[in-house]
Amino acid sequence: MRWATRRGCHVDRAACAWLVRRFIDPEAAFLFVDDDADIPADATAFDIRGAELSHHGADCSFETFLRRHDLHDPALLAVGAIVHEADLADERYDAPEAAGLDVLIRGLSMVVDDERVLELTGPLFDGLYAYEQRSLALGRDPS
Amino acid sequence: MELAKWALLAYRLPREPSTPRIALWRQLRRLGVAQLSDGVVALPLDARTREQLEWVADQVTDAGGEASVWLASLASRSQERALARRMADAIGVEYRALIEEAAAADRGGGGPGPQAIRRLRRELRRIRARDYFPQPIAREAQLAVERLGATTTEAAS
Repeated sequence: MRWATRRGCHVDRAACAWLVRRFIDPEAAFLFVDDDADIPADATAFDIRGAELSHHGADCSFETFLRRHDLHDPALLAVGAIVHEADLADERYDAPEAAGLDVLIRGLSMVVDDERVLELTGPLFDGLYAYEQRSLALGRDPS
Repeated sequence: MELAKWALLAYRLPREPSTPRIALWRQLRRLGVAQLSDGVVALPLDARTREQLEWVADQVTDAGGEASVWLASLASRSQERALARRMADAIGVEYRALIEEAAAADRGGGGPGPQAIRRLRRELRRIRARDYFPQPIAREAQLAVERLGATTTEAAS
């Protein structure tokens, strides 16, 4: 399936792309547009104005994905809280990791293109997800 | 010299219910927008500010209002400078208040507690996030909060 989003990937779009590849569509191909009018009819749009899979109410796009695709895994919700704060910093969640994640991805997007941002952040989100799973299983921060 | 670009949000939201209006007000405040007139706000244009205003626009539409995002330039450099100055002055007031709070916390008996430091650091981060026109007072505020952190570390060791 083809998935389309806004050019200039930051934390929310990078996290959504990771979620799509890992939990929704392993064969996903991503394309990046400047204007939502440029989204091809056969592509599913996300994290762009007017798209169904986008910000809704106080939720960022990653959280919308979790809701719409019935992903209730608590470790994913924990990743969602971090992504939410990294993207919006509205203090809805207590996620001190968020500021660091935001800066890392923001910096990355200054030196590589969108395709490469997704390639590099994929393993980062794999790790974050694994960490949250471990943390939930242990009931404390993993060493 | 070319004129700077701004992202504008023009919005209209029903007076009632008040919850979406308050949510909108909080968001606009967090973003540090300049209110140009009733229902029109501006931010200096970059990928992030434009995106943030687009999300706000979607929220306004979801709440039954109308909203559009515009990319614009002021017609003259003097107007541009005046708007930038207005935004810088507003944020300068916030930095000034923070510096005073840091000084007050420092004067309290036994030095500032860790809670006070955490709160001031958080407040500094919030202000910096909506500061688009860096000025010397930003650095002053940062130093004031850092100095506070340093005093407690010394006292503890």
